[in-house]
Amino acid sequence: MIRPLLNGATAMAWLACALFFLRFWRQSHDRLFAFFALAFSLLAGNAVAGALLYADDERRHYIYVVRLFAFLLILYAIWDKNRAGRGNAG
Amino acid sequence: MAEAVYLLCALTSAACAVLLLRAWKRTQSRLLLWSGLCFGFLTLNNVLLFVDLVLLPTSIDLYVPRLITGLAGAVTLLYGLISDAS
Repeated sequence: MIRPLLNGATAMAWLACALFFLRFWRQSHDRLFAFFALAFSLLAGNAVAGALLYADDERRHYIYVVRLFAFLLILYAIWDKNRAGRGNAG
Repeated sequence: MAEAVYLLCALTSAACAVLLLRAWKRTQSRLLLWSGLCFGFLTLNNVLLFVDLVLLPTSIDLYVPRLITGLAGAVTLLYGLISDAS
């Protein structure tokens, strides 16, 4: 009983984070926030999928492929932001 | 395949944490500190994932500690966003 509860709470928290970043993006039109909103939505979907699939389901590791993609998206967003920052400075 | 994905998850989340915390040291932006701490928890979560599913036998289950570290990461970032927005 505690497992779906924790998964649901995690999904809700990631979704709330994604909505905050969506708001920041709408205010500033900074691409970094759009990437963050997308990555955290993926993590929210991940938590929901984790709750719906059984522990011994063979497809389970695909959840972590999506999670890896979300992390790579964050890394790309940071790299993209740093590159833009250097472009403005120079 | 699955083992490589778990390991890459841990490495990428650690890279995110390091980059965000380095940016926080440079700019002192509090949101970057909370994001960095969030990814610190996620790194711990992914290390536990690797230890649980690859290294430990199936008789030992770390699913609940993994869920708790994941939730801690999400709540840390959410706290940062709420306290920064107000």
